[in-house]
Amino acid sequence: MTDEQVDKVLRKASRVASPVDPALLKRIAESLSGSLRPVRPLPPRWLLTSGLALICALVAVTAAAHAGFYGVEKLMVWERVAIFSTLAILVWVAGTQFVSQLIPASRQALPAGAFVTIGSAALLGVFALVFSDYHTDHFIAAGLACLGTGLLFAIPAALLGCLLLRRGYAVNPVAAGLAGGTLAGLCGVTMLELHCANFQAWHVLVWHTAVLPVSAAVGALVGYAVRLRAHEALGRTR
Amino acid sequence: METDPNPESLMTRYQAGDFAAVTALVECMGPQLHRFFMAQSAHRSDADDLLQETWLRIHRVRHTYRPGEPVMPWFYAIARRVRIDHYRRALRTTARERPLDDRTDVSASLPVEEARMDDLEVLLAPLSESQREVLRMMKVAGMSLEEVARATASSVGSVKQKVHRAYRILRDSMNAMGAKRGSSRVLP
Repeated sequence: MTDEQVDKVLRKASRVASPVDPALLKRIAESLSGSLRPVRPLPPRWLLTSGLALICALVAVTAAAHAGFYGVEKLMVWERVAIFSTLAILVWVAGTQFVSQLIPASRQALPAGAFVTIGSAALLGVFALVFSDYHTDHFIAAGLACLGTGLLFAIPAALLGCLLLRRGYAVNPVAAGLAGGTLAGLCGVTMLELHCANFQAWHVLVWHTAVLPVSAAVGALVGYAVRLRAHEALGRTR
Repeated sequence: METDPNPESLMTRYQAGDFAAVTALVECMGPQLHRFFMAQSAHRSDADDLLQETWLRIHRVRHTYRPGEPVMPWFYAIARRVRIDHYRRALRTTARERPLDDRTDVSASLPVEEARMDDLEVLLAPLSESQREVLRMMKVAGMSLEEVARATASSVGSVKQKVHRAYRILRDSMNAMGAKRGSSRVLP
C-alpha cells in the first residue's frame, strides 16, 4: 500500500460527519450573544514588543537613576556597547516571545524555556568577556544584595508588562509566565549593570546572571498558580 | 444578512459584534471542534462540555485573532489547550479517587460502539496521541503543515516527522488488515 492510498482512505473516512446536537450549537451562540460587543483587534506585534522594551528601559533607567549610575560610569565604551547591545537584543526577543504567548497559534522561533537557557548563556558569555577580576570579596552577602535588587526591579517591569498585555493568554499561562518572567528578569539585569560597581567576575557571572532564570522561574510559578485557579473556578461552576 | 461561509471573514465580523456572524461561525466550526473532542472523550457529554468551554474561551480572547490570518490554527490552538486542561483536571480528580496504578487512558477506554461510530478513529487507533492529533487536524480540518505546527506550538519539521511516522504505521496496519482478509484489496 502506498502513501497516496493511505491518504485516500483517511480522506474518505474523515468525510463521515459527527452529528452535533443543533440545540447545543444554538445554546452556545445565544450564550455568546449575551456579552457580544465590538472588540478592537490587537495592535501589530512590533508595536506591542516596542511597548514592552520601552517599559523595561524606563524601569531600569529610573531605578538606576534613583540608586546611582555607578556601574555604567565605571565601564569603558566597548564594555558598555557589548553589555547593553546584548541586553537590548535579549529584551527584544523576550518581548516578542511574551507577545507570542498572548496570541494563540503564534509563530514561535524557539520555546520559552529554551530562550531562558540561551539568554543566560549569552549573558554569561558577554560577562566573561568583559570582566576579568576573579577575586572574591563578600561573595554571598554582596551577591544576595544584587540578586534581591535585580528581582525587586523585575517586579514593576512584570506588572507594567502584564498591564500592557492584560487580556488574552488563552493557551498556556505557564509559558506566558515564563516569557514574562524572563523579560522582567532582563530588566533587573539591565538595572544592575547600570548601577552595580562591583566588577568581580564571579559576582557578575553568578549573581547578576541568576536574576534571569530566577525571575523566569517565578513567572512560570505565577502562571501555574493562575492555571490552577482557573481550573478550580471552572470546577466550581460545573 | 447573508451568511458568509468563509471562517476568516466571519471571525472579523464576530470581532465587530455581528450576531449573525457568531451564529454562522458556531454552526461552521462547532461540528469540527466537537469531532476533535469526541475523538478523545469517553462520553458525548464531555465533548459537549469541552465545546462550550472552548467557545467561552474563544469569546474571551476574540480580540487576539488578527484579521487576514488563517483562523483554523487559532481555533485549534485554543481547543487543544481546553482539551489538555480538561485532561489534567480529570487526572487530578482520578488521582484523588483511585491509586495511580488503576488510572486508565481516556482515549483507550472508548466503548466499542462509540469508537466504531467514527471510521477515522478506528483507522487512527494504532497511532500515538500526538500523531492522531496531527492527522485529525490535517484530514478533518484540512489544515496545512504550517498551520498544524502553529496550532500545536511545534515546528513544521516536527509535524512532518510525525506525519511520516504515522503513515508508515498506517501502511503496515492496513497491509496487515489486507493480508488477514486474504485479499489484494485492503479496503472496502
